[in-house]
Amino acid sequence: MDNLGLKVDSTALVDSHLRILIADDNDSDRLILQTIVRKEGHTVYAARDGQEAIDLFKEQSPDIVLLDALMPNVDGFEAARTIKQLAGDSLVPIIFLTSLRDATSLADCLAAGGLDFLSKPYNRIILQAKIKAFASMRRLHETVQQQRDEIAVHHDRLVHEQEVAKQVFDNIAHPGCISAPNIKYLLSPMAVFNGDLVLASRKPSGGMFVFLGDFTGHGLPAAIGAMPVSEIFYGMAQKGFSLQDILREINKKLKRILPVGVFCCASMVDVSFRKRSAEVWVGGIPDVLVFRAKERLVEPLKSRHLPLGVVDSDRFNTDTTLVQMELGDRIMLWSDGIIEAADNNGEMFGEERVLEVILSSQDPNDIFHNIERAVEQHAGRGEQDDDYTMVEVSMVTEEDMGDPLGEGGVSYLRGGPRDWSMTYELRPLTLKEFNPLPLITHLLMEVPGLRPHSGKIYTILSELYSNALEHGVLQLHSELKASADGFARYYAERTEKLQALDSGWVRFHIDHHPVEDGGVLTIVVEDTGNGFEYGHKQGAEHRTEGYSGRGIPLINTMCRSVRYLGKGNQVEVVFDWHVDV
Amino acid sequence: MSKPEDHLDIVALKELKDIMEGEFDTLVATFIRDSSNKVEELADIIEAGDPDRLRKVAHSLKGSSSNVCAMPLSELARQLEQLGREGTLAGAADLLERLRDEFQQVATLLNNNI
Repeated sequence: MDNLGLKVDSTALVDSHLRILIADDNDSDRLILQTIVRKEGHTVYAARDGQEAIDLFKEQSPDIVLLDALMPNVDGFEAARTIKQLAGDSLVPIIFLTSLRDATSLADCLAAGGLDFLSKPYNRIILQAKIKAFASMRRLHETVQQQRDEIAVHHDRLVHEQEVAKQVFDNIAHPGCISAPNIKYLLSPMAVFNGDLVLASRKPSGGMFVFLGDFTGHGLPAAIGAMPVSEIFYGMAQKGFSLQDILREINKKLKRILPVGVFCCASMVDVSFRKRSAEVWVGGIPDVLVFRAKERLVEPLKSRHLPLGVVDSDRFNTDTTLVQMELGDRIMLWSDGIIEAADNNGEMFGEERVLEVILSSQDPNDIFHNIERAVEQHAGRGEQDDDYTMVEVSMVTEEDMGDPLGEGGVSYLRGGPRDWSMTYELRPLTLKEFNPLPLITHLLMEVPGLRPHSGKIYTILSELYSNALEHGVLQLHSELKASADGFARYYAERTEKLQALDSGWVRFHIDHHPVEDGGVLTIVVEDTGNGFEYGHKQGAEHRTEGYSGRGIPLINTMCRSVRYLGKGNQVEVVFDWHVDV
Repeated sequence: MSKPEDHLDIVALKELKDIMEGEFDTLVATFIRDSSNKVEELADIIEAGDPDRLRKVAHSLKGSSSNVCAMPLSELARQLEQLGREGTLAGAADLLERLRDEFQQVATLLNNNI
């Protein structure tokens, strides 16, 4: 029993062992005090005046200091001030030993940095209590200091990590060809950490994709989704995938990787400069606006879909709105930051104000800037808010856009597959469910130097393929497409026949061989259809008007020769290409 | 003939002895040496007429005598300190005589291990 008690006591003693400085010029008082303190299990450093106390403090840095107020040489007040200075950030409790009672003296003690008083005659119990209290105060302070330092280190690391993360994000989620001449945009440098994302890419066919996303939440969690979206967007856009394919892939990926409640409100536009049209998909984000320059009116395209990453692939809807555009017409995309920008009274900027600004702009070229200014004025901030993300895409001619991928030069001719041929036969199951064009385009783009011609090649492939499939295998009549009304019937029939298809094939035979500064690409597409009497279709006298008119004549302008072979169920295109130096 | 308890708080003194153990004799010797120096110093101060020094030395003696449980002695020192604080020496000499007597009594008692 006794042994056990002793054991517990001694552990407690070790735990609460302190190093205590005592300064008192009175020998007998000092003797009593140091005996009491020592008996409590502490180490004592004894000083006879203020100067000795300061010296001992420097030498020993004790945990607690007991200072007599009135001492010769350096008195307690001055010693306290010096000790406090020496202690710096760490808390060294100073207790004044004094029988001074008047308020002025006590105030002097506090002013010098004393935290408490101990009066004579010394009382062992009171002394014990005070030492204990200040020891735990000191420990608490040490813990706080330590945690503060840890937080500072942690914070520094976090900032550094964010900088690195930002760099990575900037590299991956770069805005692509956003600086194209037909685009204006507003995107804060830290937008990715607000969950906002703007991506733009030219298509191999010469068109352009623009994507604006707004992830739920803020900070890193909101930014993380930007990486796969960006990778998918640029990867697939470059390979000639369609807007539908890209959106479906992004949705599938986000649905799989993001936690419930995190998703991406988005709008995406597929601009065709050749057709002067745009396909628009809007999911959970403010209305995309189409500004008609001639009529000076605005057509809102409402969100018709759930945001990306919400529904499973089989329920994901990629229906788009097709917009015919004139040169100078504009499409505007935004996240809700602009619409929801609030003034001092919490009133939002709102869609009506956006419309007002657009319609009151004299010069359509000023619309973008006017909206930006109006929002800033409304929200009353000189500085641009991080949440304002906005993109304006104008309809221009393809020539205005320049070379889509901007490559060229002889160095591109080295390495890679240059001399080869292949045959690729697509049978009914594949024809029903698979678009072979991205794959074939991708394969061809491996030919060094060919990428700048990808737009033409894609156009050729897609025209030949759709002819072979629709007129050859499916036996659809192109005459149907001559009227807008027949156009819809044509596609209904196409879907129906494709669904029912159980025989037939489309065969690509592709051959590439290099020449000195380029190559010759021969594409033969053959189908199991009946063919046709093509005698009168050789050359450039193909019908050129109407919806279906742009096919073969367009191809004719792009390549050396277009020939029908066999019973008209084969077509051969020879495409010469040269490096533009 | 006065009793020990007229000069010392016997109960508190017993406690002090328990705490000090072997150091108690040193304490007594230290106290008596220190205090007799201070009594002589007080006499010089009163003769020189320096109330501020009177206050300081009496303050110190007040504290140390209270620590050895000599409460009447501490009280006399306090009265001298008070005079010093008030900046007067009126009655200081009489007070010092009473203090000197009291100190003799305390010293004798402590030396005889009361």
